[in-house]
Amino acid sequence: MKSTLVISLNTFREIIRDRILYGLVVFAILLISVSMLLGQLSFAEQIRISMNLGLTAIHLGTVVLSVFVGSTLVTKEIDKKTIMTILARPISRTQFILGKALGLSLVNLVVMSGLSVVLAGVLYFLGADLKPIFLLALVGILLEGMLLLGITLLFSTFSTSIMVVTFTMGVFLIGHWLESMQFFAEKSETVSFIFFQQLISRVFPDLEVFNWRAHAVYSDRVSAEEITYAGLYAFGWFILTIVLTSLIMRKKDFA
Amino acid sequence: MFHLKRNPAYMSLYKLICIGFLYEVPDMDSLPVGLAGKGELYFNGGMSVLKVVDLKKSYRTGFFLTSTEVLKGVSFELEPGTITGFLGGNGAGKTTTMKCLLGLCFPDSGQIEYFGKPGMSSEVKSKIGFLPERPYFYDYLTGEEFLLFYGQLSTNLSRSALKSRISDLLKRVDLSHAKSRLLRGYSKGMLQKVGLAQALIHDPEFVILDEPMSGLDPDGRHSMAQLIEETARQGRSVFFSSHLLHDAQQLCKNLVILAGGQVVYEGATESFLLDMDSGIEVTCFSNGKLERHNFQNNEGVQNFLRTALNEGKVVQAVQPVRRSLEQAFVDKALRAGDRS
Repeated sequence: MKSTLVISLNTFREIIRDRILYGLVVFAILLISVSMLLGQLSFAEQIRISMNLGLTAIHLGTVVLSVFVGSTLVTKEIDKKTIMTILARPISRTQFILGKALGLSLVNLVVMSGLSVVLAGVLYFLGADLKPIFLLALVGILLEGMLLLGITLLFSTFSTSIMVVTFTMGVFLIGHWLESMQFFAEKSETVSFIFFQQLISRVFPDLEVFNWRAHAVYSDRVSAEEITYAGLYAFGWFILTIVLTSLIMRKKDFA
Repeated sequence: MFHLKRNPAYMSLYKLICIGFLYEVPDMDSLPVGLAGKGELYFNGGMSVLKVVDLKKSYRTGFFLTSTEVLKGVSFELEPGTITGFLGGNGAGKTTTMKCLLGLCFPDSGQIEYFGKPGMSSEVKSKIGFLPERPYFYDYLTGEEFLLFYGQLSTNLSRSALKSRISDLLKRVDLSHAKSRLLRGYSKGMLQKVGLAQALIHDPEFVILDEPMSGLDPDGRHSMAQLIEETARQGRSVFFSSHLLHDAQQLCKNLVILAGGQVVYEGATESFLLDMDSGIEVTCFSNGKLERHNFQNNEGVQNFLRTALNEGKVVQAVQPVRRSLEQAFVDKALRAGDRS
């Protein structure tokens, strides 16, 4: 446990000291600022437009952080051979992977919290009445980031950084299109398309499960069951991907 | 209304998670290294620091995954408290052997024993220090943070005790002045030194150094050699690979020479050089000219001396012709490599 914590804190420090992170944060803050300006285009819907764009900025920031930074977490250690001095220490490969995942999750949490405070400040300035559903939308983004991080780590055990980003972004896009595909499959009479839709809905995670951004914008209610399901779904996928990543890592030769 | 089976992926996901938890995967890190591949459990009550028996390793490379045998049955043993050099040409299998020793690669077969016991457990790892070849460390850390990180991974010392040890180590490797500098600002020599410090941070009994002097200038090599000697003087066993034969000749009591994935020599450095003696040279002065004569045995020397003295020649020196380790290595290792 101590080794996992030491690895996670070092990973946190590594990402925090990386310039890419600051570029990402500046980009997200700019997007939130633009959301305030765009909101002014509409007199009646100003707060909704600002909240929608702001939450989208935080969502994009979290996805980019999980996928792009996550893709280099393990591959960089292997390419630079720093993993050799780590694994020569009394630490298992599973502890190493867990430490890496926790480190980036911690960065995700800190960055998202910071951006959320900025967005909440902007919305407060615009006179919005922030409800708990706003917080829930942020939790949904965090859960999605965690799931994507697990998938990124899994791909990074057997692929290069560029391919990892490509694969994970593919999972991200498919994960958000699953509901639309299901809609079209129900209307379709093409057997192969229906089979294909059923196949990918069993293989890919449904990322719309965590999308409560529209609920926050329109102050809709989300049931406790949906929240529990989303939580279990995200943790289930995360644990599954970490278990698979560990299994692959345990057999990997660092030649 | 919400249903658990809302997404068809849920049930298959749940089953997979159960498999992940219930399926007891053997922890490769806690397995005897010999068992990680096809080898068998091997017990030995010997007191050697490291014993390697018939280590074999092959890699699959290329589009058709052609198998290339890198280690073809490597066996050797290291005495405690000595510096042993691990020599071999490029591609001889030195780095692969070291990676197998550290559990970074899994051998196809063979046994590795540390301190008379088989396997690479966490306990064994905590007694080993390792400096890799061309160390790329975390360049976003300062020298002190870097050592603190490795110290926290390897020891249970309190933060203050660890900081005091780091301060001592930095002093020893002459890097106290650069402790607050980021590693990306370190020179190659400084990186090697801080690398050696990380290998020693947990006070290991056995230190493995992969090409510790590679790429260093003469001053850096001298300084690193002194550090290695000091490490051994403190009772630690040092095993280091090198292609700088002069340094190995000066530092190492024993040698293990690898060629073509096989050990071609294992024993004392002195014996290796004696074995490689190429006869006796007699230098004498005759008719105002200096003459040098080489003989392969003592009989030839005695016969020549008798004749030379009778002819009034002045014998200036009789000495064995001892080649440098470099010449001996080229003769033995590289030729053996060509044959394999």
